[in-house]
Amino acid sequence: MIEVAQQVVDGLGQGSAYALLALGLALIFGVMHLVNFAHGEPVTVAAYAVFGLALLGLPWWALALVAVGAATLTSIAIEAVGFRRVRQADDFTLLLTSFGIAVLVRAAFSMWVSTTPRQFRRPDWIFDTVRLGPLALETYDVVVIGVTLVTLAGTWYLLRRTMFGLALRAAAEDFDAARLMGARADRVISGAFALAGLLAGIAAALILVRRGQAEPDMGLNILLPGLLAAIIGGLGRLEGAVLGGFALGVAESLFRAWILPNSLSGLTDAAVFGLIALLFIFRPEGLLTSRKAERV
Amino acid sequence: MRDRFLAPTVGSLLLWGGMVGIALGAAALGTSSTETLVTQMLINAIVVIGLQVFIGNTGILSFGHPAFGAYAGYVVALLTMPMSRKLLQIPDAPLGLAEVETSTVAATVLAVGLTLIVGVIVGLALVRSGATSGAVAATMITLAFLFVTHEIALNWTDLTDGGGGLGFIPRLEGRLPIIVTLLASILAARWFAESKTGRLAHATREDDVAAASVGINRIRPQMVALLLSVGIIAIGAVLRVRALGSMTPSFFYFDYTLVTLAMLIVGGRLSVTGSMLGVVAITAGTEITRVISGDDVTVPGLEWLLRPNLSDLFLGGAMLGFMLLRPKGLLEDRELDHWLRRWLPRREEQVAPPPEVANPATGDSTLRTVDLGVVFNGFRALADVSIEVEQGEIVGLIGPNGAGKTTLINAVSGLVADHEGTVVLGGEDVTDLAPDELARAGIGRTFQNLRLFRGLSVAENVAVAHMASAAQGRQVPDIDALLAAAGLWELRDRKASALDYGNQRRLELARAAAAGPDFLLLDEPTSGMGETESAEMVDFVRATAASIGAGVLVIDHDLHFIVSICDRVYVLDHGELIAAGPPHVVRQDAAVKSAYLGED
Repeated sequence: MIEVAQQVVDGLGQGSAYALLALGLALIFGVMHLVNFAHGEPVTVAAYAVFGLALLGLPWWALALVAVGAATLTSIAIEAVGFRRVRQADDFTLLLTSFGIAVLVRAAFSMWVSTTPRQFRRPDWIFDTVRLGPLALETYDVVVIGVTLVTLAGTWYLLRRTMFGLALRAAAEDFDAARLMGARADRVISGAFALAGLLAGIAAALILVRRGQAEPDMGLNILLPGLLAAIIGGLGRLEGAVLGGFALGVAESLFRAWILPNSLSGLTDAAVFGLIALLFIFRPEGLLTSRKAERV
Repeated sequence: MRDRFLAPTVGSLLLWGGMVGIALGAAALGTSSTETLVTQMLINAIVVIGLQVFIGNTGILSFGHPAFGAYAGYVVALLTMPMSRKLLQIPDAPLGLAEVETSTVAATVLAVGLTLIVGVIVGLALVRSGATSGAVAATMITLAFLFVTHEIALNWTDLTDGGGGLGFIPRLEGRLPIIVTLLASILAARWFAESKTGRLAHATREDDVAAASVGINRIRPQMVALLLSVGIIAIGAVLRVRALGSMTPSFFYFDYTLVTLAMLIVGGRLSVTGSMLGVVAITAGTEITRVISGDDVTVPGLEWLLRPNLSDLFLGGAMLGFMLLRPKGLLEDRELDHWLRRWLPRREEQVAPPPEVANPATGDSTLRTVDLGVVFNGFRALADVSIEVEQGEIVGLIGPNGAGKTTLINAVSGLVADHEGTVVLGGEDVTDLAPDELARAGIGRTFQNLRLFRGLSVAENVAVAHMASAAQGRQVPDIDALLAAAGLWELRDRKASALDYGNQRRLELARAAAAGPDFLLLDEPTSGMGETESAEMVDFVRATAASIGAGVLVIDHDLHFIVSICDRVYVLDHGELIAAGPPHVVRQDAAVKSAYLGED
């Protein structure tokens, strides 16, 4: 029982980053019906920014802020330079545009920085453990879950209690009307990318504290679970995306620990993604959505 | 029928000749490294045709097609590797594979067969996920498939020996098998695109809801396209593995997806000719970037750009650039044979269309709804609505905005599947039929905000509707006559998207009529039209209905239109039926007046 609880906490820690990324993906999908394959790239840029500034000897908390700032700016820039031009395009074009951006960013870092991972120093506290009753928890997991919950609460406040949040939800609710808003749509969409970038930045900070390295493939690698989480929750559903992220993290953790025999533990990701593919087959609209009638 | 395939066949031969010419020319001029490059280019051309057959015809973006190649590649590697190598590298392979060694022909057949089985499984998943053009769930399934396949290949070391891969696979002798396969692939792709099944796939690609409304079941054309594409890619993959003499999990993973996808979209995913152009352009581009970013070339001032991995930057840039500036690629949907048609002999052009649509005997079928009700997220859009339309009569459905008119039509035509009550067509309960089944059963419709197959020609729009129903043995009208009656005969080769609004409206109605329905449900046919156009539409609706002997249920806001065309009228308000009867009587009804005045 205690072991299960520990695996679950571990999974929630892993799932936190997925949840934050999935929430950003859902926000972007809401305002422009785009499945953003480039949403991992703010994480890549944040990682390299942290790598660069870590050389200057900045403390870990300052680096975390750098990660958040870099990711937010990257996300805003990607929208302004790339997506603004194809906003009216069909789904196919949108998908491939975001894919092209992801490939371009990856290639740029491979070319001008390095194809191999670049290491930087991690804070010492990540390996500590804290005892909570019978549970021995990694400090890292506790911090991650704590930061994520605070972030989600803040996001919830922003979306539910501010004018910006209202505009964003309205845009997500009535996509066609949002398209017609013209100049105001620019601001709402840009804001959605900024918020999504901020969330990706926090996810990046959480990942980087633990991993302590930057590599060109990072964005694409982290994108896949984020995307799956967003779709598990029903694309565009914000609460669903968050739940999807945590569920995916816990599922991975449990699979790795028990469900697969040791010899096959290398197949954890394959097994989880295979299961999710099955989920799409039986509920392509995700776990939480009720199928909306299409306007014809 | 033979004419239709003549131009594509000649065009395919020319295209193939061009590709082989470019390849052999480059090989003759270049060094030994060019030899390898040329072989790779021809093999990539085969794989890209495989991609084109699926993505181009169905509009579903797949990142996972290279993974099909992985299955074929491993089968051929495992079966043809020398036994001595296998006993050394993978002695514990399941099924005693370590002690099997077959001929390359047998291995190829097995590779293609097994890959097709995988294709059927993935295809069922895609179909089940409701795959339509640009569908996200479908694209994610293909991505998951790519990822899972790669993970299995990496981790099932007893079989694959992991990331290092398998080697010593007997090499391909000469380029002839590749060149022959390329020709077969080009022909298969062009013939498929021109075939009936291909046309039906195009219709679902352009608009899946509209395709269902004319009776097209998307599953068969999508599956055929998928299996054809999988077959082509499997053979391409076998050739690739045999040309390289080895097989690793990364051969058919993300980077290969990137290269082949870039080739497809740069040239034009909708065109076989275009995708071949993309293969040449991307091959040349990556080769040039590779050479100039290598150690042998230095350009003062450009050292910062000419670095390793420049080719990835080129691929990403090409993909992004085309998406932003020319999303349908260099050639869009043009094929070589479109230019050829001018010179090829063909049947004498029919100058004038048949004068009128044949007038079949009107049946005596009835379309009825019994206590139809719809609730959307707690909001009651329709309550206990029972209406009746006889074949041969024109019935109006009016009411203020939000009264539930479109919802009623959507429920009858199957688009709103979750409803109360029953729909009875000619005495049979058709409540639970899917939209395409209802269309084939005899219920046709148009849409409030026009849903044409925009990328297809006017004639094709009508022809696909005709095809789907004719295949079911329904009696269908002559489509040339229909086009003429709609005033579209002269415009039949134009793209639907190029028509003006009034013509688009008439085309949509002609398309619905081409399926030979017993009942036509028309959702605001005069919406957005001026007075003259509206008047023409009245005549056209009446003439079309009479010529195919259909009953009509028509929604319109224009009371004048309704009064001038309808035998009877139903009035809806707040989801309930508030009046029914001849137009002039309903017009005087107090409840109707208040509903309309309240609205205004």
